[in-house]
Amino acid sequence: MNLSTRMVVVLTSVGLLSGSFLATVGLLTQERIALNKQREIEEAIIQVIPGILNSQKLYEEKDLSVYGGMNEEGNLIGFAIRASGIGFQDKITFMLGTNISLTRINSLTILDQKETPGLGAKITDRDSFLKYWEDKDCSNEIFLHKPAVSSPEELSPTEINTITGATISSEAVLNTVNSSLEQVRRLIKEGKLSSEEQGAN
Amino acid sequence: MPTRSVGQEFVKGLWDENPIFRQLLGLCPTLAVTNAVINGFAMGMATSFVLIFSSLVVSSIKKLIPSQVRIASYIVIIATFVTIVDRIMAAFFPPISKSLGPYVPLIVVNCIILGRQEAFSSKNTVGRSLIDALGMSSGFIIALLILSSIREILGAGTFLGYQVMGAWFKPWIIMLLPPGAFITLGILLAIALQIERKTKSRA
Repeated sequence: MNLSTRMVVVLTSVGLLSGSFLATVGLLTQERIALNKQREIEEAIIQVIPGILNSQKLYEEKDLSVYGGMNEEGNLIGFAIRASGIGFQDKITFMLGTNISLTRINSLTILDQKETPGLGAKITDRDSFLKYWEDKDCSNEIFLHKPAVSSPEELSPTEINTITGATISSEAVLNTVNSSLEQVRRLIKEGKLSSEEQGAN
Repeated sequence: MPTRSVGQEFVKGLWDENPIFRQLLGLCPTLAVTNAVINGFAMGMATSFVLIFSSLVVSSIKKLIPSQVRIASYIVIIATFVTIVDRIMAAFFPPISKSLGPYVPLIVVNCIILGRQEAFSSKNTVGRSLIDALGMSSGFIIALLILSSIREILGAGTFLGYQVMGAWFKPWIIMLLPPGAFITLGILLAIALQIERKTKSRA
Protein backbone atom coordinates (compact mmCIF):
# COMPACT_ATOMS: atom_id res chain seq x y z
CA MET A 1 0.00 0.00 0.00
CA ASN A 2 1.51 3.33 -0.90
CA LEU A 3 1.76 6.13 1.60
CA SER A 4 -1.16 8.30 0.53
CA THR A 5 -3.56 5.34 0.46
CA ARG A 6 -2.34 4.34 3.90
CA MET A 7 -2.88 7.86 5.21
CA VAL A 8 -6.44 7.90 3.91
CA VAL A 9 -7.20 4.41 5.17
CA VAL A 10 -5.80 5.08 8.66
CA LEU A 11 -7.51 8.45 9.14
CA THR A 12 -10.81 7.13 7.78
CA SER A 13 -10.80 4.08 10.02
CA VAL A 14 -9.79 6.10 13.07
CA GLY A 15 -12.65 8.49 12.29
CA LEU A 16 -15.16 5.71 11.67
CA LEU A 17 -14.23 3.81 14.81
CA SER A 18 -14.40 6.97 16.93
CA GLY A 19 -17.69 7.94 15.36
CA SER A 20 -19.37 4.62 15.98
CA PHE A 21 -18.02 4.53 19.50
CA LEU A 22 -19.38 8.00 20.18
CA ALA A 23 -22.73 7.15 18.65
CA THR A 24 -23.04 4.28 21.13
CA VAL A 25 -22.08 6.46 24.09
CA GLY A 26 -24.47 9.16 22.89
CA LEU A 27 -27.34 6.69 22.67
CA LEU A 28 -26.60 5.28 26.10
CA THR A 29 -26.46 8.67 27.81
CA GLN A 30 -28.98 10.85 25.96
CA GLU A 31 -31.99 9.55 27.82
CA ARG A 32 -30.39 10.21 31.18
CA ILE A 33 -29.22 13.68 30.19
CA ALA A 34 -32.73 14.60 29.03
CA LEU A 35 -34.11 13.15 32.25
CA ASN A 36 -31.69 15.22 34.34
CA LYS A 37 -32.82 18.39 32.60
CA GLN A 38 -36.48 17.57 33.05
CA ARG A 39 -36.00 16.63 36.70
CA GLU A 40 -34.19 19.87 37.35
CA ILE A 41 -37.17 21.81 36.01
CA GLU A 42 -39.69 19.71 37.93
CA GLU A 43 -37.77 20.11 41.16
CA ALA A 44 -37.61 23.85 40.65
CA ILE A 45 -41.37 24.03 40.04
CA ILE A 46 -42.11 22.13 43.24
CA GLN A 47 -39.73 24.41 45.08
CA VAL A 48 -41.36 27.65 43.90
CA ILE A 49 -45.04 26.63 44.19
CA PRO A 50 -45.54 25.05 47.60
CA GLY A 51 -48.11 22.33 48.00
CA ILE A 52 -48.49 21.21 44.41
CA LEU A 53 -48.94 17.63 43.41
CA ASN A 54 -48.10 17.87 39.76
CA SER A 55 -47.40 20.44 37.14
CA GLN A 56 -48.04 21.00 33.49
CA LYS A 57 -46.43 23.12 30.84
CA LEU A 58 -48.90 25.78 29.69
CA TYR A 59 -46.84 27.91 27.38
CA GLU A 60 -43.40 27.96 25.83
CA GLU A 61 -41.42 30.38 23.77
CA LYS A 62 -37.79 31.39 23.60
CA ASP A 63 -36.63 32.48 27.06
CA LEU A 64 -40.08 32.11 28.64
CA SER A 65 -41.96 29.00 29.73
CA VAL A 66 -44.99 28.92 31.99
CA TYR A 67 -45.93 25.89 34.04
CA GLY A 68 -49.13 25.48 36.00
CA GLY A 69 -48.97 23.82 39.40
CA MET A 70 -51.97 21.70 40.46
CA ASN A 71 -52.97 20.67 43.98
CA GLU A 72 -54.46 17.31 44.98
CA GLU A 73 -57.90 18.18 43.62
CA GLY A 74 -56.37 19.09 40.28
CA ASN A 75 -57.02 22.80 40.67
CA LEU A 76 -54.52 25.27 39.42
CA ILE A 77 -52.91 26.95 42.44
CA GLY A 78 -49.96 28.77 40.95
CA PHE A 79 -47.71 29.47 38.04
CA ALA A 80 -44.05 28.68 37.71
CA ILE A 81 -42.39 30.97 35.22
CA ARG A 82 -39.08 29.94 33.75
CA ALA A 83 -37.41 32.90 32.13
CA SER A 84 -33.96 33.94 30.94
CA GLY A 85 -32.40 37.33 30.64
CA ILE A 86 -28.96 38.74 30.03
CA GLY A 87 -26.90 39.10 33.19
CA PHE A 88 -23.43 40.47 33.65
CA GLN A 89 -21.61 37.61 31.94
CA ASP A 90 -24.18 35.44 30.26
CA LYS A 91 -27.83 34.50 30.38
CA ILE A 92 -29.40 34.04 33.79
CA THR A 93 -32.24 31.51 33.86
CA PHE A 94 -34.55 31.30 36.84
CA MET A 95 -37.82 29.80 37.99
CA LEU A 96 -40.31 32.15 39.58
CA GLY A 97 -43.34 30.88 41.49
CA THR A 98 -46.46 33.04 41.70
CA ASN A 99 -50.10 32.72 42.70
CA ILE A 100 -52.70 32.41 39.92
CA SER A 101 -53.60 36.10 39.88
CA LEU A 102 -49.90 36.98 39.48
CA THR A 103 -50.03 39.33 42.45
CA ARG A 104 -47.70 37.47 44.77
CA ILE A 105 -44.31 35.82 44.29
CA ASN A 106 -43.91 32.64 46.34
CA SER A 107 -40.22 32.30 45.72
CA LEU A 108 -37.47 32.47 43.19
CA THR A 109 -34.76 30.00 42.35
CA ILE A 110 -31.87 30.37 39.91
CA LEU A 111 -31.46 27.53 37.43
CA ASP A 112 -28.50 28.66 35.41
CA GLN A 113 -26.03 31.51 35.67
CA LYS A 114 -22.40 32.26 34.89
CA GLU A 115 -22.01 35.42 36.97
CA THR A 116 -18.75 36.36 38.70
CA PRO A 117 -18.02 33.90 41.51
CA GLY A 118 -18.29 35.56 44.89
CA LEU A 119 -20.12 38.61 43.54
CA GLY A 120 -22.81 38.17 40.90
CA ALA A 121 -23.01 34.46 41.62
CA LYS A 122 -24.57 35.38 44.97
CA ILE A 123 -27.89 35.61 43.12
CA THR A 124 -28.06 31.87 43.83
CA ASP A 125 -27.51 32.50 47.53
CA ARG A 126 -30.67 32.30 49.61
CA ASP A 127 -29.39 34.39 52.51
CA SER A 128 -28.06 37.34 50.58
CA PHE A 129 -30.52 37.49 47.71
CA LEU A 130 -33.21 34.88 47.20
CA LYS A 131 -34.84 35.20 50.62
CA TYR A 132 -35.82 38.76 49.73
CA TRP A 133 -37.95 37.35 46.95
CA GLU A 134 -39.97 35.09 49.18
CA ASP A 135 -43.65 35.98 49.54
CA LYS A 136 -43.30 39.26 47.72
CA ASP A 137 -46.10 41.43 46.43
CA CYS A 138 -45.76 41.73 42.68
CA SER A 139 -49.01 43.40 41.66
CA ASN A 140 -46.92 46.44 40.79
CA GLU A 141 -43.44 46.76 39.41
CA ILE A 142 -40.66 45.73 41.81
CA PHE A 143 -37.66 47.97 42.43
CA LEU A 144 -34.13 47.49 43.62
CA HIS A 145 -33.16 48.79 47.04
CA LYS A 146 -29.70 50.33 47.07
CA PRO A 147 -27.53 50.13 49.08
CA ALA A 148 -27.94 46.57 50.30
CA VAL A 149 -29.78 45.90 53.55
CA SER A 150 -29.35 42.96 55.88
CA SER A 151 -32.93 41.93 56.61
CA PRO A 152 -36.21 41.88 54.66
CA GLU A 153 -37.87 44.21 57.24
CA GLU A 154 -35.81 47.14 56.04
CA LEU A 155 -37.32 46.99 52.56
CA SER A 156 -40.54 48.53 51.37
CA PRO A 157 -43.07 45.98 49.98
CA THR A 158 -42.15 46.74 46.39
CA GLU A 159 -38.40 46.52 46.85
CA ILE A 160 -35.88 43.74 46.75
CA ASN A 161 -32.33 43.78 47.99
CA THR A 162 -29.22 44.47 45.94
CA ILE A 163 -26.10 42.35 46.20
CA THR A 164 -23.21 44.58 47.18
CA GLY A 165 -20.77 44.77 44.27
CA ALA A 166 -23.14 43.08 41.88
CA THR A 167 -25.76 45.66 41.00
CA ILE A 168 -25.82 44.56 37.37
CA SER A 169 -26.57 40.94 38.23
CA SER A 170 -29.25 41.94 40.77
CA GLU A 171 -30.79 44.32 38.27
CA ALA A 172 -30.68 41.71 35.53
CA VAL A 173 -32.71 39.29 37.63
CA LEU A 174 -35.12 42.03 38.67
CA ASN A 175 -35.68 43.28 35.13
CA THR A 176 -36.25 39.79 33.81
CA VAL A 177 -38.72 39.10 36.62
CA ASN A 178 -40.63 42.30 35.93
CA SER A 179 -40.71 41.78 32.19
CA SER A 180 -41.66 38.11 32.40
CA LEU A 181 -44.51 38.90 34.81
CA GLU A 182 -45.69 41.52 32.38
CA GLN A 183 -45.51 39.02 29.55
CA VAL A 184 -47.43 36.34 31.43
CA ARG A 185 -50.14 38.85 32.38
CA ARG A 186 -50.49 39.66 28.71
CA LEU A 187 -50.66 35.97 27.82
CA ILE A 188 -53.46 35.47 30.32
CA LYS A 189 -55.32 38.46 28.97
CA GLU A 190 -54.98 37.13 25.45
CA GLY A 191 -56.25 33.79 26.68
CA LYS A 192 -53.15 31.92 25.62
CA LEU A 193 -52.71 30.22 28.96
CA SER A 194 -56.31 29.55 29.96
CA SER A 195 -57.27 27.36 27.01
CA GLU A 196 -54.79 24.66 27.89
CA GLU A 197 -55.47 25.18 31.53
CA GLN A 198 -59.11 24.23 31.04
CA GLY A 199 -57.96 21.26 29.05
CA ALA A 200 -56.06 20.15 32.12
CA ASN A 201 -59.13 20.39 34.32
CA MET B 1 16.40 8.88 25.95
CA PRO B 2 17.64 7.72 29.37
CA THR B 3 16.25 4.40 30.47
CA ARG B 4 14.12 4.71 33.55
CA SER B 5 12.70 2.11 35.90
CA VAL B 6 8.92 1.75 35.99
CA GLY B 7 8.83 3.57 39.31
CA GLN B 8 10.85 6.49 37.95
CA GLU B 9 8.58 6.65 34.93
CA PHE B 10 5.67 7.25 37.28
CA VAL B 11 7.41 9.58 39.73
CA LYS B 12 8.74 11.94 37.07
CA GLY B 13 5.18 13.17 36.42
CA LEU B 14 4.82 14.16 40.06
CA TRP B 15 7.76 16.53 40.23
CA ASP B 16 10.62 16.47 37.69
CA GLU B 17 8.29 16.71 34.71
CA ASN B 18 5.14 17.88 36.50
CA PRO B 19 2.87 19.11 33.69
CA ILE B 20 1.92 22.32 35.50
CA PHE B 21 4.86 23.30 37.65
CA ARG B 22 7.69 22.11 35.42
CA GLN B 23 6.37 21.91 31.87
CA LEU B 24 3.77 24.71 32.13
CA LEU B 25 1.35 22.73 29.99
CA GLY B 26 -2.43 22.79 30.12
CA LEU B 27 -2.60 26.14 31.87
CA CYS B 28 -5.97 27.16 30.42
CA PRO B 29 -8.07 24.70 32.47
CA THR B 30 -5.63 25.09 35.33
CA LEU B 31 -6.35 28.78 35.61
CA ALA B 32 -10.00 28.66 34.68
CA VAL B 33 -11.57 25.97 36.81
CA THR B 34 -9.54 26.08 40.01
CA ASN B 35 -11.87 28.50 41.83
CA ALA B 36 -13.23 25.61 43.91
CA VAL B 37 -11.56 22.38 45.03
CA ILE B 38 -14.37 20.22 43.69
CA ASN B 39 -14.05 21.80 40.24
CA GLY B 40 -10.28 21.38 40.24
CA PHE B 41 -10.61 17.77 41.26
CA ALA B 42 -13.29 17.02 38.66
CA MET B 43 -11.20 18.68 35.96
CA GLY B 44 -8.18 16.64 37.06
CA MET B 45 -10.14 13.40 36.94
CA ALA B 46 -11.66 14.18 33.53
CA THR B 47 -8.29 15.08 32.05
CA SER B 48 -6.70 11.97 33.58
CA PHE B 49 -9.34 9.74 32.04
CA VAL B 50 -8.69 11.22 28.62
CA LEU B 51 -4.92 11.12 29.03
CA ILE B 52 -4.79 7.52 30.22
CA PHE B 53 -7.09 6.13 27.54
CA SER B 54 -5.57 8.19 24.73
CA SER B 55 -2.10 6.99 25.75
CA LEU B 56 -3.28 3.39 25.78
CA VAL B 57 -4.84 3.64 22.33
CA VAL B 58 -2.03 5.66 20.76
CA SER B 59 0.72 3.43 22.10
CA SER B 60 -1.06 0.30 20.90
CA ILE B 61 -1.69 1.51 17.34
CA LYS B 62 1.43 3.67 16.96
CA LYS B 63 2.93 1.38 14.29
CA LEU B 64 -0.18 1.58 12.11
CA ILE B 65 -0.30 5.38 11.91
CA PRO B 66 1.81 7.01 9.18
CA SER B 67 3.75 9.87 10.74
CA GLN B 68 2.22 12.40 8.30
CA VAL B 69 -1.25 11.95 9.78
CA ARG B 70 -0.26 11.19 13.36
CA ILE B 71 -1.36 14.52 14.86
CA ALA B 72 -4.74 14.32 13.11
CA SER B 73 -5.21 10.75 14.33
CA TYR B 74 -4.21 11.64 17.89
CA ILE B 75 -6.63 14.54 17.96
CA VAL B 76 -9.50 12.35 16.75
CA ILE B 77 -8.68 9.77 19.42
CA ILE B 78 -8.39 12.43 22.12
CA ALA B 79 -11.61 14.13 21.01
CA THR B 80 -13.42 10.80 21.20
CA PHE B 81 -12.47 10.29 24.83
CA VAL B 82 -13.21 13.91 25.70
CA THR B 83 -16.70 13.62 24.26
CA ILE B 84 -17.24 10.43 26.23
CA VAL B 85 -16.21 12.18 29.46
CA ASP B 86 -18.42 15.14 28.65
CA ARG B 87 -21.48 12.97 28.04
CA ILE B 88 -20.87 10.81 31.09
CA MET B 89 -20.47 13.84 33.32
CA ALA B 90 -23.63 15.42 31.93
CA ALA B 91 -25.52 12.17 32.51
CA PHE B 92 -24.26 11.20 35.94
CA PHE B 93 -22.79 14.32 37.57
CA PRO B 94 -24.95 17.17 36.23
CA PRO B 95 -23.97 19.80 38.85
CA ILE B 96 -20.24 19.37 38.21
CA SER B 97 -20.78 19.23 34.49
CA LYS B 98 -22.62 22.53 34.77
CA SER B 99 -19.97 24.27 36.80
CA LEU B 100 -17.13 23.15 34.51
CA GLY B 101 -19.15 24.33 31.52
CA PRO B 102 -17.14 24.57 28.30
CA TYR B 103 -13.89 23.49 29.93
CA VAL B 104 -14.62 19.79 29.59
CA PRO B 105 -14.89 19.88 25.77
CA LEU B 106 -11.79 22.07 25.81
CA ILE B 107 -9.71 19.18 27.18
CA VAL B 108 -9.32 18.26 23.50
CA VAL B 109 -6.83 21.08 23.09
CA ASN B 110 -5.12 20.57 26.43
CA CYS B 111 -1.48 20.34 25.43
CA ILE B 112 -0.63 17.89 28.21
CA ILE B 113 -2.57 15.21 26.38
CA LEU B 114 -1.34 15.79 22.85
CA GLY B 115 2.12 16.47 24.27
CA ARG B 116 2.31 13.10 26.00
CA GLN B 117 1.13 11.29 22.86
CA GLU B 118 3.75 13.01 20.74
CA ALA B 119 6.58 12.85 23.28
CA PHE B 120 5.92 9.51 24.88
CA SER B 121 3.12 7.17 23.81
CA SER B 122 4.11 7.24 20.15
CA LYS B 123 7.59 5.97 21.04
CA ASN B 124 7.04 3.66 23.99
CA THR B 125 5.32 0.40 24.85
CA VAL B 126 1.72 0.23 26.05
CA GLY B 127 2.78 -0.57 29.61
CA ARG B 128 5.23 2.30 29.88
CA SER B 129 2.74 4.70 28.28
CA LEU B 130 0.18 3.71 30.86
CA ILE B 131 2.63 4.34 33.71
CA ASP B 132 3.63 7.66 32.15
CA ALA B 133 -0.01 8.72 31.77
CA LEU B 134 -0.78 7.73 35.37
CA GLY B 135 2.21 9.73 36.62
CA MET B 136 1.36 12.80 34.56
CA SER B 137 -2.29 12.60 35.61
CA SER B 138 -1.37 12.41 39.27
CA GLY B 139 0.98 15.35 38.86
CA PHE B 140 -1.77 17.32 37.15
CA ILE B 141 -4.38 16.46 39.79
CA ILE B 142 -1.98 17.36 42.63
CA ALA B 143 -1.19 20.71 41.00
CA LEU B 144 -4.88 21.49 40.48
CA LEU B 145 -5.68 20.51 44.07
CA ILE B 146 -2.97 22.77 45.49
CA LEU B 147 -4.06 25.68 43.34
CA SER B 148 -7.78 25.23 43.95
CA SER B 149 -7.33 24.72 47.71
CA ILE B 150 -5.46 28.00 48.04
CA ARG B 151 -7.99 29.83 45.90
CA GLU B 152 -11.07 28.39 47.58
CA ILE B 153 -9.77 28.89 51.13
CA LEU B 154 -8.65 32.47 50.56
CA GLY B 155 -11.38 33.40 48.11
CA ALA B 156 -14.40 31.92 49.83
CA GLY B 157 -13.14 30.81 53.24
CA THR B 158 -14.28 27.27 52.50
CA PHE B 159 -12.71 23.94 51.59
CA LEU B 160 -14.84 21.59 49.49
CA GLY B 161 -17.77 23.78 50.46
CA TYR B 162 -17.18 23.51 54.23
CA GLN B 163 -16.44 26.68 56.14
CA VAL B 164 -12.84 26.49 57.36
CA MET B 165 -12.10 30.11 58.15
CA GLY B 166 -13.63 31.84 61.16
CA ALA B 167 -16.19 34.61 61.04
CA TRP B 168 -13.38 37.19 61.26
CA PHE B 169 -12.22 36.20 57.83
CA LYS B 170 -13.23 38.41 54.95
CA PRO B 171 -13.01 36.38 51.71
CA TRP B 172 -10.59 37.72 49.09
CA ILE B 173 -12.94 37.74 46.13
CA ILE B 174 -10.03 38.37 43.80
CA MET B 175 -8.77 34.85 44.45
CA LEU B 176 -11.89 33.46 42.76
CA LEU B 177 -11.46 35.71 39.74
CA PRO B 178 -8.94 35.27 36.92
CA PRO B 179 -6.29 37.55 38.50
CA GLY B 180 -6.30 35.33 41.60
CA ALA B 181 -5.53 32.34 39.41
CA PHE B 182 -2.56 34.08 37.80
CA ILE B 183 -1.22 35.39 41.10
CA THR B 184 -1.49 32.02 42.82
CA LEU B 185 0.04 30.13 39.91
CA GLY B 186 2.87 32.68 39.66
CA ILE B 187 3.73 32.32 43.34
CA LEU B 188 3.55 28.53 43.14
CA LEU B 189 5.83 28.49 40.08
CA ALA B 190 8.32 30.71 41.88
CA ILE B 191 8.31 28.33 44.85
CA ALA B 192 8.71 25.32 42.54
CA LEU B 193 11.66 26.94 40.78
CA GLN B 194 13.26 27.84 44.09
CA ILE B 195 12.95 24.27 45.37
CA GLU B 196 14.36 22.95 42.11
CA ARG B 197 17.32 25.33 42.29
CA LYS B 198 18.06 24.38 45.90
CA THR B 199 17.97 20.63 45.19
CA LYS B 200 20.17 21.08 42.11
CA SER B 201 22.81 23.10 43.91
CA ARG B 202 22.90 20.52 46.67
CA ALA B 203 23.34 17.64 44.22
